[in-house]
Amino acid sequence: MSQTPNAERPALNVELSGVPASNIKHQTSNVLWRLLDFVLAAVFIFAGLSKIFDLDHLLTALLHLRFGDALIQFRQLTAASPIEFANGIDNFKLVPWPVSVALAFYLPWLEIFCALALVFRLLYRGALILLITLMVVFTLAITAAKLRGLDITCGCFGHASQHWSFPSHLATNLTIIAGLVALSFANRSRERL
Amino acid sequence: MVRQAAVLAALAFLPAAGEAIHFRDKISWRSSIPPSEMVSVEQARGWGDTAIWVDARPDDEFASDHVPGAISLNEDRWNELLPQFLAVWSPGKKIVVYCSSLSCNASREVANRLRKEAQLSDVFVLEGGWEAWLKGNR
Repeated sequence: MSQTPNAERPALNVELSGVPASNIKHQTSNVLWRLLDFVLAAVFIFAGLSKIFDLDHLLTALLHLRFGDALIQFRQLTAASPIEFANGIDNFKLVPWPVSVALAFYLPWLEIFCALALVFRLLYRGALILLITLMVVFTLAITAAKLRGLDITCGCFGHASQHWSFPSHLATNLTIIAGLVALSFANRSRERL
Repeated sequence: MVRQAAVLAALAFLPAAGEAIHFRDKISWRSSIPPSEMVSVEQARGWGDTAIWVDARPDDEFASDHVPGAISLNEDRWNELLPQFLAVWSPGKKIVVYCSSLSCNASREVANRLRKEAQLSDVFVLEGGWEAWLKGNR
């Protein structure tokens, strides 16, 4: 007699009930850590892309839920001028202009590559340490600028962050750093198991 | 961990280098002003009477010496000095803004404000500023 799908169910239930509660908890926490991986990766991919491409019109369309417009804007996506981000870095008055230019070309790609490493779990620890270092340096730089009385926009998220206040910048950066440090500890304890 | 970080850092270098090559004509590694908005002393001198020279340095530096015929327009007294500059300006004239040296920012700021606030075009920043002018006139 052939088995029906219904006939298989009790066996499946028996198998599920056989899974120790600690394993289910472990799996749930793994899912949550992966979720945090994806959220932080999305933040850094957006941060990187917003410096490479002019995303203003695309974001406006998406925020207003005009998906047709968003698709058109996506097709017409143009490269953002790196001079804007270079000026943003230069405004901190911490590095000479040629270094600002080099960083303006380099940092967005570094953010994107690190974010992809979080998503695909390749070079994972390296990506975490790089992102934590970057975020700590950004946070120190905006704090130093504030203390020196410089009225600047960091351009960390392209035009989207142009009008953020210092407390908003600081809160965002500290939240991201906390997330990255948590991922780092979770990864370390996973490796110990 | 360090090796992984180094691999990622090296990977990011490749597209960054490509982007730098792509934008090589639109961004200057020597100055924050795009090459198209800069002018050399020789080139600006060649414009003769069609150019208006704008001194973006502080008042005391302008008073001690300046390019012959230059008009003072700095950010400290912007609202006061702008009408005086506009009285001299006429359509079709090229504006050459300068400050102390290659590393100063005042000329860039004044040039940006002339473009944005006064809606003027043909605004250029003198490469090397006052120092370059002095060198060219020795």
